[in-house]
Amino acid sequence: MAMRQTPLTCSGHTRPVVDLAFSGITPFGYFLISACKDGKPMLRQGDTGDWIGTFLGHKGAVWGATLNTDATKAATAAADFTAKVWDAVSGDEVLSLAHKHIVKSVNFTQDSNCLLTAGNDKLLRIYDLSQPEAPSQEIAGHSAAIKKALWCNNDKQILSAADDKTIRLWDRSSMQEVKMLTFETSVSSMEYMADGELLVITYGKTIAFYNALSLELIKTVEAPAPINSASLHPEKDFFVAGGEDFKLYKFDYSTKEELESYKGHFGPVHCVRFSPDGELYASGSEDGTLRLWQTAVGKTYGLWKCVLPGKPEQPRPEVSKLLKMEGQDFSSYKSQGATKA
Amino acid sequence: MATPVSVLRLPKGPDPNSRGFDPNSPRFVALCRTSISTSAAEADAKELQREQRARSALRERFLRCLLTMTNKKVQFHMHEKVDVEATFGASDIDVLNFQVSDLHTPIGVQKEALIRCQDVISFTFDM
Repeated sequence: MAMRQTPLTCSGHTRPVVDLAFSGITPFGYFLISACKDGKPMLRQGDTGDWIGTFLGHKGAVWGATLNTDATKAATAAADFTAKVWDAVSGDEVLSLAHKHIVKSVNFTQDSNCLLTAGNDKLLRIYDLSQPEAPSQEIAGHSAAIKKALWCNNDKQILSAADDKTIRLWDRSSMQEVKMLTFETSVSSMEYMADGELLVITYGKTIAFYNALSLELIKTVEAPAPINSASLHPEKDFFVAGGEDFKLYKFDYSTKEELESYKGHFGPVHCVRFSPDGELYASGSEDGTLRLWQTAVGKTYGLWKCVLPGKPEQPRPEVSKLLKMEGQDFSSYKSQGATKA
Repeated sequence: MATPVSVLRLPKGPDPNSRGFDPNSPRFVALCRTSISTSAAEADAKELQREQRARSALRERFLRCLLTMTNKKVQFHMHEKVDVEATFGASDIDVLNFQVSDLHTPIGVQKEALIRCQDVISFTFDM
């Protein structure tokens, strides 16, 4: 029997959600951070969307947000001309890095020791987090505001996308530009997948896949509407995209076929990301909400439960997750009924 | 017709009264270290006693400090490189605010003021 996708809506933000990022998988699950124009980025439990905390401190719209792999640190980029580093466990602000203009993008190296920032001052900056007082290393070259900057190739290189309609690859040690891609229109988003060295770029109605090392084009796919963000499944069998028509699209990566489209958001979709285990994807919209969507519709995972007709109810995934997390033997624990929302 | 997938509940939203990061969550307890080690369940009785004695001594010193400071000129070192001088009056019971007089600020002298304790990094005064 066909099942209809039930997206989970995460409310809390009061203005458009413009960026989101997942952490890696940690012993406590995985986490999601959302950047919002209300200036209050939020941390959520990745598989349920439950709010964990709000990072308070920015005095302007937050344009970019990221988590390190083990979700112990967060970084945010804001219109108040600062990038901030946060303790993602306590919610405390750890560092505030002053910039000369709006900061749009932040990205940690794999060891969380360096932070790459970029924004409207057209410069890429590398901060050594163990020496926050030391000035950042600067890389100049872009002729317009930088939208996104990411570490790639084992943190040896940097990829940046800017409003000058170029994507550039830089070498970290020499700080020199290595390659450049030019487009006819501004790139709306860029996602990097270390596993497989893939780059997912969106512009106009196109979702394009490139080799991240050589910047060679692999394939392009056209969507029915202008696309703002796309994300490739960790297993590289699907990708999802969202944009100006408020819908989420799911495509088959190998055949380029559009498999599904989902309505739900009440405004353009600004960002979409697959979770690190590929079981769900999250979308952030102009409507101020985040929505979580299942990759395999109908599967029991997180807050979604599979109820087959005639069969007894499956054990609640939330309770079993709790059992594992506590690390104690609760095998004689008796469920006390519905958890309060 | 396709049936919608059932959900256990909706995702929990933000708490209007706090910024979150529950200190009782398993992750916080496991990963956050406080400046003075907390009396965890595993600590033995002797360690707990030592710790409690240390806590009492520090608390008593702090309270005596507040008493001694009364009506004295104190320099407050605060966030954002703010350094101000004032005559200390009193603290509220939760040490959330300090009542001061003649607060010297870059824009003038405030006859009476409240200083928010969470903004204070340290303070010094001559005994």
